Amino acid sequence: MSEAYAVDVENVVKSFGSQKALDGLTLRVKPGEIYGLLGPNGSGKTTLIRAIVGLIAPDSGTVTVLGRRIPDLDILAQVGYMTQQAALYPDLSVEENLRFFAAISGSDGNVTEVLKTVELDQRRGSVVSELSGGMRQRCSLACALVHRPKLLLLDEPTVGVDPQLRVQFWEHFREMAAAGTTILVSSHVMDEAERCQRLGLIRLGKLLTEGTPAEVKATAGTNNLEEAFLKLSGRESE
Amino acid sequence: MSGHRIAAITSRLLHQFRRDHRTLALLFVAPIVILSLLGYLIRGSASVPDVGIANLDQGPAGATLTSSLEQSSKIHVIAINAPDGDAKLKDGSLVAYIVFPTDFSQKAQQGTIAPEVHVEGSQPGTQAPVLQALQQALVSLAAASSSAVRFQPNVTYLYGGPDLDQLDYFGAAFIGLILFFLVFVVTIVSFLNERSQGTLERLMASPLRRGEIVVGYMLGFLVLALVQAVEVLVFSLAVLKVHNQGNVLLIFGIEVLMALSAVNLGIFLSMFARTEFQAVQFIPLVIVPQVLLSGILFPVSSEPKALQYLSDVLPLTYAVNGLRDVMLKGADLTWPSLQLDIGIVAGFCVLVIVAGIATLRRRIA
Repeated sequence: MSEAYAVDVENVVKSFGSQKALDGLTLRVKPGEIYGLLGPNGSGKTTLIRAIVGLIAPDSGTVTVLGRRIPDLDILAQVGYMTQQAALYPDLSVEENLRFFAAISGSDGNVTEVLKTVELDQRRGSVVSELSGGMRQRCSLACALVHRPKLLLLDEPTVGVDPQLRVQFWEHFREMAAAGTTILVSSHVMDEAERCQRLGLIRLGKLLTEGTPAEVKATAGTNNLEEAFLKLSGRESE
Repeated sequence: MSGHRIAAITSRLLHQFRRDHRTLALLFVAPIVILSLLGYLIRGSASVPDVGIANLDQGPAGATLTSSLEQSSKIHVIAINAPDGDAKLKDGSLVAYIVFPTDFSQKAQQGTIAPEVHVEGSQPGTQAPVLQALQQALVSLAAASSSAVRFQPNVTYLYGGPDLDQLDYFGAAFIGLILFFLVFVVTIVSFLNERSQGTLERLMASPLRRGEIVVGYMLGFLVLALVQAVEVLVFSLAVLKVHNQGNVLLIFGIEVLMALSAVNLGIFLSMFARTEFQAVQFIPLVIVPQVLLSGILFPVSSEPKALQYLSDVLPLTYAVNGLRDVMLKGADLTWPSLQLDIGIVAGFCVLVIVAGIATLRRRIA
């Protein structure tokens, strides 16, 4: 990859009414890394991810994804996006959902492989409305992976996923990153944050701290991320 | 039963509605609007039809009848030249015209009152006030004449005929209305689902163009609408035996245009609804006034003037008019009125497609 950054967010401001969701935020994700986005509810994580896929136009600042200025619809064929809510067609089967999302990205899709990854290969013919919440979440992740994206944006992907499968998710994320996929993931779960190569702590639409998990802990002067998170995000409000 | 628990439910319900201004408006404003509209339509209507009269009678009877018809409260008389009559029926400026032939007085002397009554005929029942007015006018003539007279009007129909019943008249309009209404509701609800289940967000975060989404939707619903249109047409024509004088493919073509309009109107209006509940609220707001004003129930020409302007901007007016022209009058594409109807429905269709595409991106923010 020739670009220096897979995601380059420069000084982005976005307001909703009087509320500033992103307040001059700058954030850069290197190709092939797993970047964890941490921050309390309402800190702007989801808004940031939505700005990266071009769902929100920033009031000012620029977003560049895989070397292309956003908005750029064509580059989205190489981006996988998973929302907090499992966004699926309830009346279609697992496989039909996957084939649809592959098709709109112009890909034939590696349906079988992706289904194995999320352990839904036994349920490929099941209609989504009959699946449990965790299965839907897995199916939703599969839909974000099915077109072999170079950049994966995951907005709290492991909500409602049991610990065992969560471990498998992360193993798979690591494999993908090793194969060159860039992953930007937002999370509340601290043991997930530990697995990221770099972390960014967001609060009130600004990037507070950035670095490897070890660096973040060092900055906070604690030896556990949970405390670091509380300490660093609390410091700003005082 | 616990009074407290019941009260909790009741009060929660009322509190909820207090914040839902739209539903409140629907509950309390919509009935007044709809009833006022209906009242104005019926009471305010110029319900007296325009009837032409051509008096060719060489004797006095025609003139006597004409002057007493001019006093009639049932019809509004306009003097015309007999050869112009059919043209005036065709352009809709008259619902009927009466000709007193040259030998009218002579025949009346012999005891036979035989005016020619030419009726437009596409709407059943329009001849009734004309014949009633004629019979009332005869009283004046009978007073002048000593012998008993027989009333033998010679009624001819430009379209349809005496066999045409209400079903033929309303059926032609409802074939289109049913399709328009159901396709609209299905589209608006599925487009809202697309948003509420989060898949619209996913579509927007893909290389899909907005136009591709709208056209894809349109084609998908078109398939359903076409099947429905065939079903409705076959049932209406073969089972209900609704009168049809025109080309079935032309009816089908108008239905396709209506279905396309309905799909895109649904996509466009789904922008203004957050929930399926709110989408259903569009029915009284969008559909009911169109049903009242598009000439389905009351001919546009008999509406109060102010409402006619409103009717003239509703696309359904033209669709209904087109369907009736084809089915009741046998109109084909050479008719300027049908060209206008089809042109306007097609234009509306393009308008809502553009509006749907233009507003698509805004609605996920």
